[in-house]
Formats: sequence, structure tokens, C-alpha cells
Amino acid sequence: MCKIEIFDGAMGTMLQAGGLQPGACPELMNVENPEVVKNIHRAYIEAGATIIETNTFGASPLKLEHYGLTDRMAELNAAAVKIAKNAAQGRAKVAGSMGPTGRFIEPLGDLAFDEAYDNFFAQAQALAQAGADYLIIETCIDIQEMRAALLAAKDACDIPVICQLSYSEDGRTVTGTDPQSAAILLDAMGADIIGVNCSLGPEELVPIVKTLAENCNCPISVLPNAGMPYLKDGQTVFPMGPEDFGKWGVKLLEAGASYLGGCCGTTPAHIRELAKAVKDLPLPERRLPAKKLWLTSRSKSVCIDKGLPTRLIGERINPTGRKKLAAEIREGSLLGVKKEAVNQVKAGAHLLDVNMGVGGIDQTAAMAKAVTEIAQLTDAPLAIDTSDAEALEAGLKAYPGRALINSVSFEPERIEKFLPLAKRYGAAILCLPITPDGVPKTAEERIEVMHKIIAAAKDAGLDDGDFLLDALVMTVSADKNACYEVLITLQMYRERFGYPTTMGLSNISFGLPNRPLINSTFFAMCLAAGLDAPIMNPYDESMQNALMASAALLGDDPNGLAYSKNAANLAAPKAAATAKVTELTPLEAIKQAVIDGEKDEVPMLVENALNAGIDGNTITEQALTAAMTDIGVDFGAGRMFLPQVLLSAETMRAAFNKLKELTPVNQAPKQGTVVIATVKGDVHDLGKNITGALLANSGFKLIDLGKDVDSTDIVKAAIENNADIVGLCALMTTTMVQIDKVIADLKEAGCDAKVMVGGAAVTQEYADSAGADAYAPDGVKAVELAKELVKK
Amino acid sequence: MPVYNAPLLSIDAAEARRYAGLQKAADFAEEKILEACEDARLLAVPKGIWEIYDYDCETQTIKANPPCQIQGKKIGQHLAGCEKIIALSATVGEDIEEDITRRFASGEYSNALLMDAAATAAVEQIADGMEKAITPKMGAQGFLLKWRFSPGYGDWPLEQQPELIRLAKAEQIGVSLTTSMMLTPRKSITAIIGLYRKQENSTTEHSPKGCTACTQKNCPSRRK
Repeated sequence: MCKIEIFDGAMGTMLQAGGLQPGACPELMNVENPEVVKNIHRAYIEAGATIIETNTFGASPLKLEHYGLTDRMAELNAAAVKIAKNAAQGRAKVAGSMGPTGRFIEPLGDLAFDEAYDNFFAQAQALAQAGADYLIIETCIDIQEMRAALLAAKDACDIPVICQLSYSEDGRTVTGTDPQSAAILLDAMGADIIGVNCSLGPEELVPIVKTLAENCNCPISVLPNAGMPYLKDGQTVFPMGPEDFGKWGVKLLEAGASYLGGCCGTTPAHIRELAKAVKDLPLPERRLPAKKLWLTSRSKSVCIDKGLPTRLIGERINPTGRKKLAAEIREGSLLGVKKEAVNQVKAGAHLLDVNMGVGGIDQTAAMAKAVTEIAQLTDAPLAIDTSDAEALEAGLKAYPGRALINSVSFEPERIEKFLPLAKRYGAAILCLPITPDGVPKTAEERIEVMHKIIAAAKDAGLDDGDFLLDALVMTVSADKNACYEVLITLQMYRERFGYPTTMGLSNISFGLPNRPLINSTFFAMCLAAGLDAPIMNPYDESMQNALMASAALLGDDPNGLAYSKNAANLAAPKAAATAKVTELTPLEAIKQAVIDGEKDEVPMLVENALNAGIDGNTITEQALTAAMTDIGVDFGAGRMFLPQVLLSAETMRAAFNKLKELTPVNQAPKQGTVVIATVKGDVHDLGKNITGALLANSGFKLIDLGKDVDSTDIVKAAIENNADIVGLCALMTTTMVQIDKVIADLKEAGCDAKVMVGGAAVTQEYADSAGADAYAPDGVKAVELAKELVKK
Repeated sequence: MPVYNAPLLSIDAAEARRYAGLQKAADFAEEKILEACEDARLLAVPKGIWEIYDYDCETQTIKANPPCQIQGKKIGQHLAGCEKIIALSATVGEDIEEDITRRFASGEYSNALLMDAAATAAVEQIADGMEKAITPKMGAQGFLLKWRFSPGYGDWPLEQQPELIRLAKAEQIGVSLTTSMMLTPRKSITAIIGLYRKQENSTTEHSPKGCTACTQKNCPSRRK
């Protein structure tokens, strides 16, 4: 990075001015009208551009498919480079432009990562073979597409690769990637220049350029738009003129960019002003960031380092010793894995370890799927935990961020296969001091092995900032020095290497009673000795407590401020909570519990009432039914709302269940039998379900036929069950007519059950005209009406 | 053309609360809603697809092959001045629906209702995510987006759902119609978004959006 380079400006609008017809393929101009393209290049070079982009933005095989020109891909790209080189005559370098496919990569879209890779590989090869000086991957909005393109570009040729994403007004790409995460990841993957283009004007891009520059060591490029276009006298115009545009050059330079140019709406005049504004300026000195261990997800970056808060690596996504999770994974379900991901993050995990080690399954496919789905659900960066190189690569490929590899030991397979994968995918490695001969016992021996691993990793192209060192925990019941050696190892890691440290803790207490006490005490000691990122169970309260207390003791939580604010450490006011219940009679207490929806409390209250000599019928009538009546009134008056009513229904259910259990003879009196259904053709059953729940818990025997139910089935069920009421639900005008049919069929079959109808589109008028006995606008009203109907 | 399955890094609890009809129930436990949103997130399989077409607002015709004439005055007014339209569809899939039904059957009524509301919020969020993806690209060409309009709004007949399914290519993401014009999976949407050109110094009048435009004044989910 020694001087300022000036890129050219927009190509598309210039082509249109040069005769490109709407709907025609712009890249076809490279062979059909090369002079137009050449003149555009010339105009930019004369304006001061030192790098020009080929007219190949849409010349990848997948994009050319749109015009049926895929088979001419190599020809169109080669022609474009030739024109550019011809126009440049050595006055400017030529950058081969590669734009996005217009599709999103799985799982965000329907394009497979490998398909995207192949697409870009073909184009990169064509551009490089034709003699391009750079490749520029630009306007990407999906970091996965950028990753595929960058891998392909580096595999296809040796020329420098420029990686430019487009960011929206919220400072992220459309798919959520922030410039910090992008810079860290693309730098680690070997991008030569990192930048941003399109979408925003120069003013909005200044902070993005700054963030990029602060998070990588590569030169930064920026190609802004000339503002957002609008229509003026039937013409699309961009608001920012050449002079204004040029003025921003200095600001972008100061923000850290050294490659400047233009995107949509810019012209040779814009580039001339830009070049004029910056060409004689010295390149401002840029403070490059220190190499630290950063990991990223699609939308977030996490740094592990001394002096920063402890980072928890959640260990729960691991089927080892967990039968249920293992069985689920074997059956192909990831629900348990996904739950662990979400819950661990909620419990305070900053990173998640992913281990899919279940015997007898396709590890590679399982790892790819797990990584893909977890990455869609949480923004915590992932550690890919496997001993299988293929599974590792599948996980790394699927991951839209910079992952941690767990782990690299000094065993030949790990060194030979894992290290190149780390380099290729820009991953960091967790280094485990194990040799083919086993686990070294003393700290000194571990340091020795660690030196060998780091040396091998550096040979493979990794560097400071790529390493997390594991202190290796053995069992103290088997080796009395196990804890001591770990503490020494941690200290020596920090002194000798300066890299951050990690370890799995719980092994220390194996074979001992009351393991949580040993674990949390050990944890506190390790934190003092320099542990930065423990691999642990984030749900473990004693460990979380040890962490919280250690943070206060070690000065990571200055003056124990966070510690003091944590509710767990404050004396809880115990008296207040139990006060209110005591003043109510047993029946009042049950009624109140139902109204408040306290379903966990109500069984005990029912039991209390029975013990106090109150019989089941009285409880049902004076507490439960009375509560429902009050709820109906409150609901009707808009003081209570459906979810609350349903909570009350759940509480009623719990109360009835308890009554049935304790006084089996004394069952609640049946109000009557209701057959309920959502009519044929209608798949919306929420309203029907709500009404059913309320009826079932108001003393009715409920027969729920489900949704999309044929008239004949409803009639049959009504007759067989000797139903008192048939409840019909229809959501839309298109399905409402089924109500008429069911009523007619019931009559014809001689069924004398009363018919109650409801649903979004149904009205009282409609119910009347269809011959229904009642219209219920909501579930609460339905219960009231049902009670009246059975009395008749 | 693009399939875009916008990820759900969270489900908007405030929107879930609104769809559950709890806007006025300030004391309803927030953690119950948050829990339902998290559960819904685990089960949701977000999918979305859109297609952009030229549009003739004089004849209300979408220039697809074959073309499609949009019926309904309200939608016609809504799309006045638009040169293009986006036909889109989004869904959270079947799994979440099955889980809601299971919860009702096992007596977790309130939780089932809250999940249903969270799923509704999720589908809308997916569609919002799609709009967010379309906006910059069309913005660079000078276009702005109108708000989403679906069959059944105003006087746009539900009978045009099949056309919209065709235009959005919704079947590619597993969204289809029952014979009674209902979308399956249940938690799915189809919609049209008008694209109009940003005019110099223009303050184009737009018809009122969403709830304010709806005639269901007593709807418990009506935005306050």
C-alpha cells in the first residue's frame, strides 16, 4: 500500500448513452460494439483513472444464462479484458469485474455454495487468462456469495483480489453483515484489498470505510454512488454533481481508503474531480490494528483476549453422553440442537461449540446442516468441533463467518489436514498440546508441544491472532498435580506466547463427589491464572457465580459494579410474596387463581378446599363456574383479553383434573355434548380451537373434528354422539357457504342438535339466513350461548 | 426470480403481542410472549420468493406472460403511478402450525395462541426482510416501494389469489392454495408491491397504510 489509486466510474449508464438497448446484454457490447466500450475506458483514463474495470459485471455463467449466452462466457470476458488493455496502453491497470449472481446462497436462497463457487471460478479464470491485473468482486450483499467468489478467485489465479460488499443505510449488508465482521473474515480468507461500493453516497460510506480500515491490514477501496437517483423530466438523474463528489475524496482518504472511484451515477467528470482532489495528497498514515483473535458470525464479531471480559464457549451442542440428543440427531432432527443454541446464548454464551459426533451417521452432512441452521438462529460465532477433516471442511464451508476449529493437536492428521483448511477458510484454531504419544503431563512439556503446533501453523500460513491455546485439563483424582500444572500452563502460555487461552473445565473433578464445588473453585483459580475463554455449560449456576465473583475480584468488573447490581446477590425480600392469599376463603382463592390464570397454584388450592370440607360440586359452582362468569363479563367489557382467558381456561383444566383425581365419583356435571369443526375447505382452526378449549373447560363434553371437515362427517359425529350442539367455524367468504350445507344436511338427517356458528367472515345476519340457532362472535360468548342453548 | 429466506434472529415481541390481541393488556407477562417468540423461531422455516414485472396502471395490467389484469378499485388506486410491481410470497412452513395444533390439544391454550401470534409476526418480518433486500437495488434505479397489498384487502377479490401465486412463483417455496382460496401453509402471505419512480421535489400522496386503511375498526390487533 504505497500510493493512491483511482478507479473509474459507472459503466452501465455510459453503455446506454453509447447505444445499449434496454433489455439487451451489456457484455455483448464487448464483441458487437467494442469501440463504445473502449471509448468509455479511454474517457475514464483521460479523467485520471489508474485502474479501469472490465465490462464484465454480469458476465458470469449464471448471469449470462438470463440472455442465453452462457456458452459465450469465456469469449465475452476475454474480449472485455482485451478492450480494456487496448484502451489503457499501459496507462492504467485492468481489473476484471465480477458482479453477484442475483441469487442468494443457501439457506438464504436457492443457490448452492458450490454452484456459486463454480460460477465465479469459471469467470475468474477467463478474466485472469486474458491478462487482467486484478479481480474485483463487487456489489455483493451476501457474505456467503463473497466467500464463494473469493475462494474461487484465489483458486483460479494468482492476481490480487479486491472484495467489495454493498451496505445499506443501517450500515449492514442486506443480509445483515456489518463491515467489521466482513473485514475480519475477508482478511483472514486472504482478500488482497477490502472495500465497499454502490448503494450509498460518499458521505454514508465514510464511517463504513473507517470501520473496514480499523479491522484489517489490507488496503481499503471505496466506490460510492453519486447519491440516490430520481426522475426529472422523464430522465433518471443522480443528485450529486462531479464537484461535490470530488470533495468527498479527501474525507474517504482520511477514513482509511487508498483506492477511490465511483459507482452508479458517476461519470468521467466525477472521476476527474475526484482525481484532482486527491492526486497530489500524501497517503494519510493508517494505524493498522494489532493481530488479535477475532471470530465472526454473519452479523457479529467477538474478540478473545487478555484484558477483555471472559468469553464463554457453550459446550452443550454435543451428543456425547446425551442419549436423547444423540437419538434426535440420528433421526435427522435438529430441534434439540437448535434449542441448545438459543438457550446457551440466552444463558450468556458468547460462542457455541458444535459437535455432531454421533456414531453411524453421515458426519459431514450432519455438521453442514447443524452449522447452517445454528447460523440462521443466533449471531454467536461457532467453534466447529470434530476429528473428521471432511466434516470440518463441510462445516467451515457452510459457515458465513470466521469459525474456530476445535481442535488442532500435534498429531499428523490434524497438522496435515486441519491447518490448510484453517488457512483456506480463514478460521482460527484451538491448539491442543497432545502428541501421537499422548498427553504431556507437565506445563513445561505442554509448552514444548505448543511451540511445535504454532510453528507448523505458521508454516501453513496462519499468523498471530489465529490461535487459542488449550491448557489441557486432567483429572485431579488421578493426578494430584493436575490442577497445579494447568495453572502453570496458563501462566506460561501468556508469558511465552501472549495468545488467549481456553480449556474444558469439568474433567478436573471426575471421580470426586460434589463436582460443582470442585469445578467452580477450579474455575476461579484458572481465571486468576489467565484463562480467557472457558468451554463450559453456561446453564451451570455455580460456574456463573464463580465467574461473576472472579470478575469483581480480578478487576474485570471495576469496583464490583455489575456484581452489586445482580439480583442474585441482593438479599431477597421474602415476606411480601406470600401475604395476599391468606385473607381469602378457600373458594375465593380458587376463583381468584382462575381469574389470574395461576394454573400451578390452583391444584393446591382445590386440595385445601376439599380438606376444609367443601364438596366438589360447591367448588365447581361457586369457584370455577363463578370465575368463568366474571371472566366473561371482563372479556365483554374489554378488560380481559383472549390469551388471559385461555390462561384461565388452563387453570380451570388443572382444577378439574385435581377434582377428578381426588373425588372421582364427584365429576363435574356435564352441560351437554358439543361437536365442533372447521368446515370443508377451511384450514384455519385458531378460532375453533379457542372456542373448543373454553367449552371443554366449562363443563361441556367436546368432540373436536378438526379442520377442513366434510359435512357428512359432521352429521355422522353429531348423530353418533347424540350432540346437543354442533359448532361450525368458517373464516372466509369462500368457505362460509359450507355452513349452509351442513345445516341442511343435519336437517335432512333428522338431527335435532342446535347449531352455533362463528368465524371471521360470519355475521349475525349470515347466521340467521343460514338457519343457525346462534352466532358466536368470540369463544367467550360461545360458552355463554351454549349454556343457553342446552337449557332450551 | 430470487428466493430469499430472510433469517429470523428474533421475532418482534411487540408485534406478537399486538397479533395476540394484547395491546391493551399492559400487565400480561412479557416473558410468556418472549418464550412463544423463541419457540416459534425454533420451528419456523422462513422462506420467501419474489418476481418483478412491468405494470400498466392505466389498464391495471401486470405484463407477465400471460398478462394479468388486477381487479378492484382500491388496489388500482393504490398502484396508480407505478411502472412495475413486485409479486411476493413468504411463509414460515408447516412445522410451526402442527406444533400449535398439538399445543391446543394438550391444553397449552394460551401458549398455542401466543405461538400463533408469533408465527404471524414472523411471516410479516420475513416479508419485511424481503422488502429490505429489494429496496436498495431498485433504489439505485430510481424506484421507491409502495406498501404491501394482498388479495382480500379492500375490494381486491380473493379469487385473484391463484394469479398472484403464479406471478410470485410461490409454489417454489411450497406455498399453494386450497380450492377455497386459502393459503397453505396457513402462516403464509402473498402480496403485491408497487414500484414508482422518485420524482424531483415530489411529495406523492399515498393512500393510507395498513390498519388505518382497514374497515375492521374493532379488530383487537388494530394498530393504535
